[in-house]
Amino acid sequence: MSNLETILSRDSYILAVEIRLFWLVALIYGVCLILYLIHLATKKTGPGRMGTNMLWLGVITHAGLILLRTFEGQRAPFQTLYESLSWFAWSTSIAYLYVERRWEDIYLPGILVTALSMGACLYALLTRSPAVEPLSPPLQSYWFEWHVALAFLSYAVFVVSCSIEIVYLTIKPSVKKGLRPEYGLNTNNLETFHRQSFRLALFGFPLLTFGIFSGAAWANEAWGRYWGWDPKETWSLITWTVFAIYLHSMSIPRWKGIPASTFNILGFICMLMTFIGVNWLARLLGIPSLHLYAM
Amino acid sequence: MIILTKIKSINWQGIRENKLYKRFASLKTSCIFLGILIGFYIIGAIFPQDAVLDDYIKSGGGFTSFVIFFDLLNVFNTPGFLIAASLLSINLTICAFEIFLILRSQSKTVSEGLQFTPQFTFPLDINTQLEDAGEIVKEIFKKEMGFTEKTFTCQEINIMEKGWSYRWLTWGYHLAILFCLFGFFMTYIFAFEDEITLYPGEAATIKPAAINRWNKSWGNKPQELDFKLILDEFITEYNQFPKLDYPADKLSRLAIAMGWKDPKYLLKEESYAPKDWKSRLKIIKGNQVVLEKTIEVNDPLSYQGITFYQAAYKQILKVQIDDNPISFETETDHELIIPGIDGMLKFGAIRTGTLFKKDGGTEKIKTFTEAALIRKDKSGKTETEKLGKLEHDGSLYIDDKRISIREFKEASVLSYRYDPGVPILWWSGVTLLIAMALRVFGAWYRIIYRLEEKDGMPHLLLKIKTRGIMADEERLIKRLKHSLEKWAEPIDLDEPV
Repeated sequence: MSNLETILSRDSYILAVEIRLFWLVALIYGVCLILYLIHLATKKTGPGRMGTNMLWLGVITHAGLILLRTFEGQRAPFQTLYESLSWFAWSTSIAYLYVERRWEDIYLPGILVTALSMGACLYALLTRSPAVEPLSPPLQSYWFEWHVALAFLSYAVFVVSCSIEIVYLTIKPSVKKGLRPEYGLNTNNLETFHRQSFRLALFGFPLLTFGIFSGAAWANEAWGRYWGWDPKETWSLITWTVFAIYLHSMSIPRWKGIPASTFNILGFICMLMTFIGVNWLARLLGIPSLHLYAM
Repeated sequence: MIILTKIKSINWQGIRENKLYKRFASLKTSCIFLGILIGFYIIGAIFPQDAVLDDYIKSGGGFTSFVIFFDLLNVFNTPGFLIAASLLSINLTICAFEIFLILRSQSKTVSEGLQFTPQFTFPLDINTQLEDAGEIVKEIFKKEMGFTEKTFTCQEINIMEKGWSYRWLTWGYHLAILFCLFGFFMTYIFAFEDEITLYPGEAATIKPAAINRWNKSWGNKPQELDFKLILDEFITEYNQFPKLDYPADKLSRLAIAMGWKDPKYLLKEESYAPKDWKSRLKIIKGNQVVLEKTIEVNDPLSYQGITFYQAAYKQILKVQIDDNPISFETETDHELIIPGIDGMLKFGAIRTGTLFKKDGGTEKIKTFTEAALIRKDKSGKTETEKLGKLEHDGSLYIDDKRISIREFKEASVLSYRYDPGVPILWWSGVTLLIAMALRVFGAWYRIIYRLEEKDGMPHLLLKIKTRGIMADEERLIKRLKHSLEKWAEPIDLDEPV
């Protein structure tokens, strides 16, 4: 066997291991989702706690998978959509676990987080190519790692922020009516719990700003144009603007309640559009996309 | 001087009390303008911007009359968008000005604590009079905890702050956004860009066909630049990129997950992935070389405010049929009609330069291209037949005709741009990020306190305000307790009242 054949055979083997590990991670996220759903249905804390422990297992396994991918590609593991989806699932789950560690028996936000993590993994596994590709010339920039890593960190915290917001809006009426505490939430801790949503969006906003700024600086260096109104760029600006409105609306007394919460959820939807739905609206309306970098 | 006097004579107070001015100084107005801009952004994300209308229609684009009437393929240059953006800028300017006035008036004196409601009460067992206790507490806050005293009109209440003022930081990054908008404006008015194709060894003069909006509005014509550009060498590099044999259908992918099948990397003829394109450039002014640089994607060359970028490359082939001395010139990926051949020839990208192999070695690529024959049947359906690899000194046969490459040329395509908005954007963007990061991730504390005598013992009544993710009220209380304990007789300070 020649040297090259040995390398190809080794790479094929590592990829096979990596793909199977990725399926296992998707399965773990799926199990977590089921456990959180059982918690939702039964109102018992046991399944919720188990879901969180399982999620730790998933995140640790996923971290190993990401390290393996980094070793395979000898570069940061978020070049292709396959890799970005994996990174998104991992960063979202770990952001959730970091925030959740301060709560006592509150597990409901885990439903959206694990559903998205599992969905991202399955979307990558079933529709994208797992091939490890060499970095194309435009991606060979020092901006690449920073731009992607921080933009995805902002996505992760926005997901957790939105999941808290949804739980708050759903639970608030029964807690405010003075009904018995549900899912670890009561009149004493409900507002503190909700405050996390704002703090997370506040945390993510500078990261998203950096993501947009670094993207523009990078585009300026690569193509000589810092802004080209490409759909991806435009959607990121939409997301930024919606979150800007959300953060400002928290300072306007009349907008502080439901309107502000709506902006937070809208911001999350826009973030999803930026990430994977860039051309979805155009396709829905039957409008052709003539853009080079739009998915 | 006259202008200054005129400015001073304007009734600013009257303007500031104007209803419209007040509306523009409101946060709600900012949100509304941002909402309007979102509407334009969504339209811009749906309709392909800068697309030619004919191409849009040919690609099956609908809503044509709307697209034409509202100029939806160029929505970010429409008066509607420009007005909305200008109104937001005015709103931001007024808000920044108003906040500045408030902050300036508060820079030394704080208007906090008119209704002082303490959150914490600490008994101070420091065996002193109330006045002395006040000095000790001040000492603790200032020297041990790093607080700075603020002047306050009410003598009994003390206000101290620690950390970068979040209000100034917030004001700072809003001002930076305003400068960013000014940078965008500069780009909009003064930027221009064009492309130039350079062949190795040729000196090219640069005369942009494009013109910025400012010159266009004054009817000025583009000027030829006073320097020349020479391409010394154009270098292409490739990575050996094995193709992955991996199924597209979901069931087969599941089979791989179960271990019933394996993915496999295969090395095929077309396993070439671009690694880099480099242009070795010289700038010549008069007869002198004033600058030399090898540029590549992400590493441009700047001279006299113009930046040259490695955009693409162009490859031209001279194709010879049999031994005919007349050759046919074509560009790669373009169709070529040759008399006597049924169909059109098409040549893929010429692979030349250096190949970086998977095993770590490098090799000089024996120049080649992939040839294909495109035939159209009577119904107009096209059929592409792959003819295979055509090397520089090799040949291919089609319909008994021998096809060979007599010559090939590679040119570097550079885009160049003049944009005075970039430095403004760069500095304001960096300021924006720093100020925003300090505001959000930093820690700012304000303590408002008063000393009161209760049961013959001085008590510290305290209120804490924090801003920033790193600000930790609990940690502050712990530190305070620890400092007070050092001064105090042993006393249980665990639980603030």
